[in-house]
Amino acid sequence: MTWLTRTATGSTSLDEVYRLTPKVYEQFLALERGVWTSSALDPSMLEVARLRIAKLVGCSHELERRMPEALAAGLTEAKIAELAQWPSSPLYTARERMVLAFCESYVIDAHSVTDALCARLNEQFSPAELSALTIAIALFDAMARFRTALDA
Amino acid sequence: MRIPVPEGGMSLFDWQPELFATFNMFYGVLWSEGTLDQATKEVGRIRNARIVDCGI
Repeated sequence: MTWLTRTATGSTSLDEVYRLTPKVYEQFLALERGVWTSSALDPSMLEVARLRIAKLVGCSHELERRMPEALAAGLTEAKIAELAQWPSSPLYTARERMVLAFCESYVIDAHSVTDALCARLNEQFSPAELSALTIAIALFDAMARFRTALDA
Repeated sequence: MRIPVPEGGMSLFDWQPELFATFNMFYGVLWSEGTLDQATKEVGRIRNARIVDCGI
């Protein structure tokens, strides 16, 4: 439960906090919808990125959440459970491994996103995919930090 | 440039114009609406940029 002394009405803890700024929340939800409905990336790959970032930031709220688009695309709890062991797990594709490496560098130290890492990303993804992926990672990182800081 | 910019574009986000427009709507509302004054928001933005060491 959030430590804010005043909240808005809402069906989730995030609603209760974010609806204090309803116009901003409305635009945020539109951006989030855009990320998940973009045809550029597989939703299960996005979910792998979102959950890995949530774990790195330590955001329990985001870790408990599951995006329906990813489950519909075939992402399983068994695969999610292996996320921390992705470098040695056989469950992840080459593209997913690149996404996870990108996420870890982005979250832990953005300056560790090296030219070498970008070259490998360019081998696996088109520029349009990388554009969508970078926006998605930025959103997931921001939300994990927002929800952790406000406990919402 | 680590990721190529599309012809006629200015940044990698021009590969995803609809998504980038949605982001810009969000960012615009963030700056133009709300209870915080602009100076307070800018202090937060600059401090964040320095912590991340973002030269842009």
